[in-house]
Amino acid sequence: MRRTNLLGLASRVVSGVGLLLVAGALPWLSRHDPAAAILRARYAELEPTEQALSAIREQLGLDQGPIAMSLQWWSAVLRGDLGNSWVSGTEIGPGLWQAVGVSATLTMFAVVVALLMAFALITPAVLRVLRDEPQRGSGPVGVAFTALPEFLLASVFLVVIGVQLQWLPPYGWTGIDTAILPALALGIPAGGLLGRLLADAISGVAEERWVVIWRLAGAGHRVILGGVIRRASAAVIDQLGLVFIGLLGGAVAVEQVFAIPGLGRYLLGAANSQDIPALQAGVLFMACAALCAGLLTNVLRRILRGGALPPGSLPPAPEPRNDGRIARWTAAVALALLLLILVFGLPRDPYLISHDRLAPPGLSLPFGADSSGRDLLARVAHGTISTLTPAFVIVLCAILAGLLLAVFGEAARGPAEIANATPPILAGVIIAALLGPSVGAVTLAVLWVTWPPLAAHAASLLEEAKAMPHIGWLALAGMSRTEIWARHVIPAVLPPLLRHGMLRLPGVALALAALGFLGLGAQPPQPEWGLLLAEGIDYVERAPWTTMAPAIALILTSVFAVALAGLRRQPGGSRHGRFPRGTVEEKESREFAEEPKRMAVTGS
Amino acid sequence: MPRRRPKPLAFLLLPLAATLALSGCFASGTSAEQGTDGRISVAHMQPPRSAMNPLSDDAFKLARWSTAETLVSLDAAGDALPALATQWTQEDELSWIFSIREEVTFHNGQRLTAASVVNSLQRAIASTPAPRILDGVELSVRSAGENSVRITTASPDPLLPQRLSSPQLAIFDDAAYSPETVNPVGTGTGPFKLVAVDGVSGATLDRYDGYWGEPAQAPGIDVQFVPDGTARAAALRTGTADVVEAIPAGQAASIDPQLLTDVPMPRTNTLYLNTGSGPFADPAVRAAARAAIDRAAIVESVYEGRADIAEGLLGPALSYAAPYRGQKAYAAALAQRAQPAKIDGVQITLGTFTDRAELPEVAVRLEQQLEAAGFDVQQDVREYQYIEADALEGKFDAFILSRATVLDSGDPVAYLASDFGCEGGFAISQLCDKGVDQAIADAAKTPAGTDRQQAIMLAEARVLGTDAAIPLLHERVIQGESPRLKNAQRDPRERQLITAGTHLDGE
Repeated sequence: MRRTNLLGLASRVVSGVGLLLVAGALPWLSRHDPAAAILRARYAELEPTEQALSAIREQLGLDQGPIAMSLQWWSAVLRGDLGNSWVSGTEIGPGLWQAVGVSATLTMFAVVVALLMAFALITPAVLRVLRDEPQRGSGPVGVAFTALPEFLLASVFLVVIGVQLQWLPPYGWTGIDTAILPALALGIPAGGLLGRLLADAISGVAEERWVVIWRLAGAGHRVILGGVIRRASAAVIDQLGLVFIGLLGGAVAVEQVFAIPGLGRYLLGAANSQDIPALQAGVLFMACAALCAGLLTNVLRRILRGGALPPGSLPPAPEPRNDGRIARWTAAVALALLLLILVFGLPRDPYLISHDRLAPPGLSLPFGADSSGRDLLARVAHGTISTLTPAFVIVLCAILAGLLLAVFGEAARGPAEIANATPPILAGVIIAALLGPSVGAVTLAVLWVTWPPLAAHAASLLEEAKAMPHIGWLALAGMSRTEIWARHVIPAVLPPLLRHGMLRLPGVALALAALGFLGLGAQPPQPEWGLLLAEGIDYVERAPWTTMAPAIALILTSVFAVALAGLRRQPGGSRHGRFPRGTVEEKESREFAEEPKRMAVTGS
Repeated sequence: MPRRRPKPLAFLLLPLAATLALSGCFASGTSAEQGTDGRISVAHMQPPRSAMNPLSDDAFKLARWSTAETLVSLDAAGDALPALATQWTQEDELSWIFSIREEVTFHNGQRLTAASVVNSLQRAIASTPAPRILDGVELSVRSAGENSVRITTASPDPLLPQRLSSPQLAIFDDAAYSPETVNPVGTGTGPFKLVAVDGVSGATLDRYDGYWGEPAQAPGIDVQFVPDGTARAAALRTGTADVVEAIPAGQAASIDPQLLTDVPMPRTNTLYLNTGSGPFADPAVRAAARAAIDRAAIVESVYEGRADIAEGLLGPALSYAAPYRGQKAYAAALAQRAQPAKIDGVQITLGTFTDRAELPEVAVRLEQQLEAAGFDVQQDVREYQYIEADALEGKFDAFILSRATVLDSGDPVAYLASDFGCEGGFAISQLCDKGVDQAIADAAKTPAGTDRQQAIMLAEARVLGTDAAIPLLHERVIQGESPRLKNAQRDPRERQLITAGTHLDGE
């Protein structure tokens, strides 16, 4: 026990130092010449002569190499000096703190909205506990909420509430009234996710044995509900922390729509103009914030669970018993609709301009035309391929990476925690700053934030598999290690991992779309969902179908994937009888309950 | 299991309390409320890139708010007018004397002297990178008595007064300058005093009572930076802002047309063809591309009619351009164009960038038009900073660029030289043509006036005669103004917006 603790600690320390060194060496790591970007940031259309570029390089000291540069930066940071911006020459500290203050305020408002939303979503499950009725899954509505991209909500709110109804100011950051719309846009998807998880956790907990025992002992409904909620919150409190971090640094698109001078825009602006010192400072802050949020949620979880418990003393929160029929129908309908889009859309040409600009939907043009007069059905269908292919690749690579890293056990703990706390937008911004925007860069960024939960899951599955009695017997029977692994361990571990990956697919797709929307991923004229949304967002009012079509595809994908993952259990829920506690299936359930698709929230 | 019920309310109250504690983090001062106090609220598109340092493109904002002033200003035709300099004389071919206006004070109360002018200009000359207007120009500035400065150029420069009108050469008090940056807050000379800059969210300006000229009519300006096009359009529709810069063409249809003004820009969307290598090295293939393009279709669809079809490289923002195109010499230069070749399956790469939202749409249209003519087009679209180097190295057969033709001095010769001269630094077309070079050199030597205009137009005809560039259209910027706003400037050069005479009705 102590050895693994030490190993985990060492891994955290090593990867922390690694992160710090990488942050310090960012200027050197950048594949593009920062001098050209800085020139561009100051003067548009100035000729980038070699003379001008070398003057900038000399001024910034870019010729020192990564180690000297990193050490220099760190020694300044430890003295409390974050350095001066490469673009404006002003001190970085004040600007960063201002952006942090704005983002923290906005995040708090959004968290309030998210919690209200979550309370609304858990009400049915809570009522069922109070009435002592059998529990059900959260159904497709909650899933649909989590699949809505924030930037789309933001634009719709701006047009409907800000302009048409004129209830609230359309943009700005001048008072509490200006914070409501962005908080709604950020809070609704976040609350959708939290609410769905919490509702599922409540349904699951409500079926645990202790609830029955309490009931038999004559505990009141309210007492039982309190216990159930407390137990369920402990399972999702980590998610709250991740949502918080995602809102703090990953709300770029919403900040842009509402002209809010927040941290997300600060980071994106720094990355785009290759203002590396500003980017470094932002990354440093986000790393600290993620650390604090992680510690805080740990403390909260302990309080909720009533003190530190030795591992294993608390049975994992079981997966809710989804209504198999509803799940099957939902999956079938969503899949059928997606297939319809593909069957009718793929034969059409996504690049051909053959219609009027913004032609409305009609019989021959079911989704209407975009601003260039291209067939949106064709673009959404081809976009399904170009969005879901990298998403599948990411999930498969994450499973593979998870399996490989799971072998290292505690040693992989440090990198996993860092990767887990990175909002995908932030990862995308940093990787795009280093490699330039491309499908490959965003794929790498989303992969970076996808592998840790799968690795954690793989580790626990492997442990369980190895502990299974018949595997122990195989070694005694003289079977070679390789054969045991290839024929028994891996086949036992892979199916649940694949199902877990499926559950993550919509989050990955949404993160890809969000990065595409920001222009960090696929480039026009490719039909990619994020790009389609970016192209349509200016016409949200005149031609709502330009954003409706890709949004519907995103929602269908989420609903399908989540429903499919819910399908694996037999209806009737007799599995407690078939499996002893703590089996592979059980562990897997816990992973599902605690580590769902957080990217749906932090991703946009 | 403990029996105590967790309090969901605490979950809610904790963030709420924290929120209230943090609400000091809202932008201060600038209220989005439309008051009756006569202050003008402005919604800009681009937030400041470098904290309003005037040695960057942020200088244009300082000029548009009438807070920073230059020695010289330009009239609509591009001729120099006195501003902080009352008059100037050319001593010899290389040196000029500028008399500095007396009784001018900076917003912090300091007097404007020859020394402060020398300091400001020296800082601009010494900065890296040097401002665009000083690119390739060697200047030295010295004080010549208490109220005059002598400016010497390394080579004859007939346009020096026009050059000094660039907002990047505005004059600030010595207090503005620190080793790292230049801070224009409270150090300009204009009718409005910059009081505060709030990061990328806004800025506040008040009337400066000690202004040397006609005092400002409006008591102040509240600026907000609104990058999102939908939000800017909303600002105008809801009355949140009195002046809105750059409303996207796609949004214009949903706004009362009386609130909108199209301002022609000295900006040309041009298809640059690579004359150095690839299929477009052949003039006949270039001519075929020219013949294939339907400009009107692009203007009608992508710009919804809110752009001007390009007849040449220089658009309607330069009022003298069009009349010269009827002249014989112009027509003769154009007649050198090659006859279009028959195209069948010629493969070309077409590059452009995403920073200007219309350009990818233009690329889509062009691809279709060129493919209809027999070309096989492969698009390559990226963000500008990731495509510039490749474009300048000639890696694309064709490149669509939205290019400013007279951004700084009001004169297009520098643009022609950098884009189409053999030594040009922005030579996407890789053009090196003796006739073109000669025509540009002739124009550069000619002093300002009608002769220079004629020489410029001849140079344009020479460039067009090579088919190295196919001008597509001239952009307009759609400026939105609320009905109560009077006398806002609609400046194609984007140097003026709110002036001393701008005010709100009903005061």
